[in-house]
Amino acid sequence: MAKARALDRRRRSVRNIRKITRTMELIATARFKKAMDRSVAARDYTKQLVKILENIASVGADVVHPLLDVRPTKRTAVLVLSGNRGLCGGYNSNIVRQAVAILGQWKSERVDTDVAVSGKRGISALKFRGIDMDERYTSFEDKPAFDAVMPIGRAYLDAYAAGKIDRLDVVYTRFHSIARQEAVTEMLLPLKAPEIAGATTAAAAPGVATSKLASQEYDFYPSAESILEEILPASFLSRLFKCFLDAAVSEQVARMVAMKAASENAAGLIKNLSRRYNRARQSQITGEIMEILGGVEALKQ
Amino acid sequence: MATATRATGRNIGHVTQVIGSTFDVEFAEDGIPAIYNAVRIDSEKKGVSLHLVGEVQQHLGGGKVRCVALGSTDGLIRGADVVDSGGPLSVPVGPATLGRVFNLLGEPIDNRGEVKTAERWPIHRDPPPVTELSTKTELFETGIKVIDLLTPFVRGGKAGLFGGAGLGKTVILTELIARIASAHGGYSVFAGVGERTREGTDLWLEMQEAKIGDTGRSVIEQTCMVFGQMNEPPGARLRVALSALTMAEYFRDTTGADTLLFVDNIFRFSQAGSEVSALLGRMPSAVGYQPTLATEMGALQERITSTSKGAITSVQAVYVPADDPTDPAPATAFGNLDAFLYLERSISEKGIYPAVDPLASSSRILDPQYVGERHYKIARRVQRTLQRYRELQDIIAILGVDELSEEDKLVVHRARRMERFLSQPFLVAEVFTGKPGEITSLADTIRSFEEIADGKWDHLPEQAFMYVGPIEQAEEQAKKMAAKG
Repeated sequence: MAKARALDRRRRSVRNIRKITRTMELIATARFKKAMDRSVAARDYTKQLVKILENIASVGADVVHPLLDVRPTKRTAVLVLSGNRGLCGGYNSNIVRQAVAILGQWKSERVDTDVAVSGKRGISALKFRGIDMDERYTSFEDKPAFDAVMPIGRAYLDAYAAGKIDRLDVVYTRFHSIARQEAVTEMLLPLKAPEIAGATTAAAAPGVATSKLASQEYDFYPSAESILEEILPASFLSRLFKCFLDAAVSEQVARMVAMKAASENAAGLIKNLSRRYNRARQSQITGEIMEILGGVEALKQ
Repeated sequence: MATATRATGRNIGHVTQVIGSTFDVEFAEDGIPAIYNAVRIDSEKKGVSLHLVGEVQQHLGGGKVRCVALGSTDGLIRGADVVDSGGPLSVPVGPATLGRVFNLLGEPIDNRGEVKTAERWPIHRDPPPVTELSTKTELFETGIKVIDLLTPFVRGGKAGLFGGAGLGKTVILTELIARIASAHGGYSVFAGVGERTREGTDLWLEMQEAKIGDTGRSVIEQTCMVFGQMNEPPGARLRVALSALTMAEYFRDTTGADTLLFVDNIFRFSQAGSEVSALLGRMPSAVGYQPTLATEMGALQERITSTSKGAITSVQAVYVPADDPTDPAPATAFGNLDAFLYLERSISEKGIYPAVDPLASSSRILDPQYVGERHYKIARRVQRTLQRYRELQDIIAILGVDELSEEDKLVVHRARRMERFLSQPFLVAEVFTGKPGEITSLADTIRSFEEIADGKWDHLPEQAFMYVGPIEQAEEQAKKMAAKG
């Protein structure tokens, strides 16, 4: 009996867990859609910005700007974007693994690193590994606001301009599709020269020929350089913002998938436990009947 | 219980009823044999020759007694002459029994001729009085990591190997014989109770090959074996353990030597009791067992004990029906033991042998008072880690390892290594595993587990911990694995 009861108790607790995971799956699905919409909206803006940059470059303006300078890396900054919550499969641990890899690399090269981490999960994981963090953010959830990201970006820009950092890497989860997200380390500063930055989008976009064509329709006033001055930081900020958005979308997708798998696992476990419970209960009943029958038989003699 | 053999002349009765493996005999009113007396039937009727020994179990009144047959009742007919032997069944005891194989009646069954001994002792005897019991408690090293660390055996104590069908109880028992008996100066007695006859033969051959230390003598020369295997009727299986025990008691009481008693399988003793119980007219009790289950087990177990004269260290295999340790038979045996190993199916399914469940097994002497603070601490630490791992298993099954906190991940990481490190290559399993048996000293065992718990070996792959002796071998194995790619 003890065994049947214990199995029943375990089954009940697994059922409760399944209730939670199923609810979380639904919530994540809803949040994913919203985050996805925001990401798509921002993508259009970023794309347009890149296009403008390309145009400026293609006009042949000699692009010189401190943000484009590649300096020897003496001091670097790493921004790690993780989630505030768990229950999203390997999302956080993949990020942490990436972060530990790059931080380890800088450490072995004896480069001073300024570490900033967003998300409670990442913070606690890095703390557990004994990594000192200079900045912690826990306010970014599934809807990162540009206004919240901007000060962070500005601070990096200022630090870069002042020569306090020579490089900025962002560790985040890039969103390719619902089926594919990957934890990546992306260098945001120094900014890649527009040609290179444009190369990836250009391949997907109509092509270099059309953008050149478009450029001829532009007149720059007062000069291409002064526009560059304005547009490069904006480009950086939008790319940084896109990292945040990608991370948010990826987190929701990861949670959705993880919770779906968890609900399925729980269902399997419940099935298995039910089978064992029924068997235990049945054998107990059989045992009792046998005992009664045995007793009756013995009394007859 | 032990009635002295007295010359009563030939007291003859007649069979009045045969019920399966029990039969009723009618004696003269004034000549009723005492309970537990052996009665003998030698008949030659219709070309069927029958030689049967029975044991008186009940007095039915009116000169009638009910007996349990200690052999097959095939060919037994009503009216057959039954001779009261005047005392309980007795078996030959003494040095002449060494190297021989007996059945429960004390008859040699190894075709090596008669066994001549000065004495025969009755198999029903009183347990030694409390005043003579030994109070020494000393650890008994086996060289098996999981046993030495978590369920240390007691010298002169009793250890039980609990497990369902096919988990390796007999293999562990054979291994212990190979380890202990070959390093042991005293005598060994093996009781085969209701198990496969083949295993008995294997063991006998193995004992002939195994040598004691470097003396050049084989283990069998210091061992006597008594078999009542599963082909025997229940009466035989019910008494064979007592016959073997009597032989062991002789060594303990008269020679004072440390004696080892191996019993495979004590559950069959209870099972045989339940088989005859209903035939004797007793009302079945819980799960159909005999109402006297605990009494019978107690009478046997109380005799397996160490006295101030000598010690009997015993290892008993206990079959657990349907993997249910709450079944009355194993549960009754359980209370009598100093150390018990519970073999778990889920562990054997992982391919980890010996499949000892580190959490369900324990020992009376796993106590800082006996094993020392260091041993106790690391044993508990290993158990705590494995316990935590087990608690987390449902979560891992549902949500995956990634959801665990960093601390828990580390616990799981180490627990999985410890779990595998508890496996060990056996001397007797060398033909199957291709690895020579490992005898790991207690000091090595303790140190190895401490290092794993401290995280010194976190970098080795899990597989490296399988089937090695001390931790250094795991390191070597990891190197070999890395070299192979």
